[in-house]
Amino acid sequence: MITQTTPPAADPESRLRPARYGVAITVTALVILALVASSILNYVYLDTIPARASLYGLLAVALITLGTYILVRAFDRDRATRRVHLIRAAVLIGLGVLLWLLVIDVFVFTQSAGPGVAVVCALACLPTTAFGLFVVRRMDRNHKEPWRLVLVAAAWGAIVATSLVVWGETLWESSAQHALVPGPGLDTSLAFMAGILEELAKGVAVLLLFLVMRDQFDDVVDGIVYGAAVGLGFNFLESVSYMTNLYSIYLPEGNGVFAAGIQWYGRQALGLFFGHATYTAYIGAGVGIARQLPGMRHKVLAIVAGFIVAISAHFSWDAWATIFPIQNSLFGIVEVHLRTLVMTGPFTAGVIALLLFGIRYEGQNLVEQMRKEAATGQGAILPEDVAILSSPWQRLKQRLQAFSRAGLKGYLELSRLQTAQLDLAMERWHRERKEIDTPLEAEQRLRERVIQLRHWVAAG
Amino acid sequence: MFATVGMVILAIGLVEFLYFERPGEASGIKAHIVGVFAYDPATKQVNGPDRSEFPRSGQFAAVVDWSSLPANLVVDARWYDSFGSLEGEAGPGNASGLTSDSVIPVQVPPGFRFVLPGRYTFVVERIEGGVPVEVLGRRFVVVDRT
Repeated sequence: MITQTTPPAADPESRLRPARYGVAITVTALVILALVASSILNYVYLDTIPARASLYGLLAVALITLGTYILVRAFDRDRATRRVHLIRAAVLIGLGVLLWLLVIDVFVFTQSAGPGVAVVCALACLPTTAFGLFVVRRMDRNHKEPWRLVLVAAAWGAIVATSLVVWGETLWESSAQHALVPGPGLDTSLAFMAGILEELAKGVAVLLLFLVMRDQFDDVVDGIVYGAAVGLGFNFLESVSYMTNLYSIYLPEGNGVFAAGIQWYGRQALGLFFGHATYTAYIGAGVGIARQLPGMRHKVLAIVAGFIVAISAHFSWDAWATIFPIQNSLFGIVEVHLRTLVMTGPFTAGVIALLLFGIRYEGQNLVEQMRKEAATGQGAILPEDVAILSSPWQRLKQRLQAFSRAGLKGYLELSRLQTAQLDLAMERWHRERKEIDTPLEAEQRLRERVIQLRHWVAAG
Repeated sequence: MFATVGMVILAIGLVEFLYFERPGEASGIKAHIVGVFAYDPATKQVNGPDRSEFPRSGQFAAVVDWSSLPANLVVDARWYDSFGSLEGEAGPGNASGLTSDSVIPVQVPPGFRFVLPGRYTFVVERIEGGVPVEVLGRRFVVVDRT
């Protein structure tokens, strides 16, 4: 007797999944090759980066990449093996972080401000970055991304993307300084460098999430959330780096704390959402739009367009921010804010417009799917649930009512039910558009889980 | 639409780069930078050996042999710090008219006690239409943090 162990795919003709993984492996291999090549070139031709740092840095990046992959995939495994994979991932990421701290020690701390100042700077940037991630995740009002993926995105921005650009930018900068005329030409070249290398390094994270974690990458809204999270992670480490560097430069003049404080304000308060978060959100938006486009050509075009906008937004700030006049007076403080608003504000407004459009489009389709599910009469979503599920405020109100009735347990159970119902609607939406690889049985399992959760909530 | 705006921005950037970094400007002329030496601002004289690294508390200056350039060539010499800020210059003018400015010191920024640490770039540039178009000589100097 032949038994079928793998349920048939929803779209049996879909061959995207293996191809996606192939692309993901190729992209990862290219990233690793780029890191190896760039660090070897640095070691051979430049004396600014000690060989020890290159060695530790490469190993740290490899460990964190592998650990992240195991961590993300662990949640797709059954409970019995999940724990083992989580421990493996934690050990690998932990080792990677330790090695990375050594690299940072060599690059930034020991050669400039010292570890104590670095820790203070990092602690100063943590709450603001955490706030940024909280806000970015909350932006997806209909279907929030799992914290683990948002944090993975931020960690890539902070650790892997910065590693990629440290070596790449050192090479570009050194070559440009040896070849070009100092002044506007060199400045423009360095602005291209920052725009291209930093956005490529950050964008790879969004692209890999899109290729590997398709189930959690639904549309343009998710893309903006992941992209902004990568940008916030990058901004975190860049802020620490600039703060410690300028602290050590200006300390002998008695202005160290002031210089670090200015950097903190510019990057963690004023520029928290206007800088890297905005740029990389465009890459995410492009990838998110590609997620729902038919045909490879359209997908590639959308992704390339996202990268172009991100690179140009980043470039325009680095190249032309100094054109904006900043007077050495009290009004200069106003001008600093105006400069950010005028130069990056339009790009941020564009991201917000895409986000609002995406939320509206996603919301309309989820409501339609919830109505269709309710019409089946299977009981996972009832007709009276639709109005509540389609409004974040109604969902919150319902959860608060559960809290007052059954305490925190009631609140959490209802929250799980609502999330599962929205997952079901999202699954139906993607299945209808033939954008999903998982078999129809997966949708049925999800439906059964919703019904089971509904029983628990009713019993509670 | 977004991508079109992006392409326009990048194209403007490319035009800007090509305006300041004009192709085909290599003249083959080389300026002779004698060296970078410790500098005494009181006597305005250099002393000691040619060096590429200085302590933060020390001042330094580049010495240029202007006679190594064609007399009527319009040139200048500039010091840039690691932020790209101008921290000392001579010229622009004809090379023959700059012989009295052969010592070009790095200036301590106003209100500061020392020069800022980091990598300094010294260049001798050929000027055309008021715009530096070619580097005729270049030196890098590192100022330590301590």
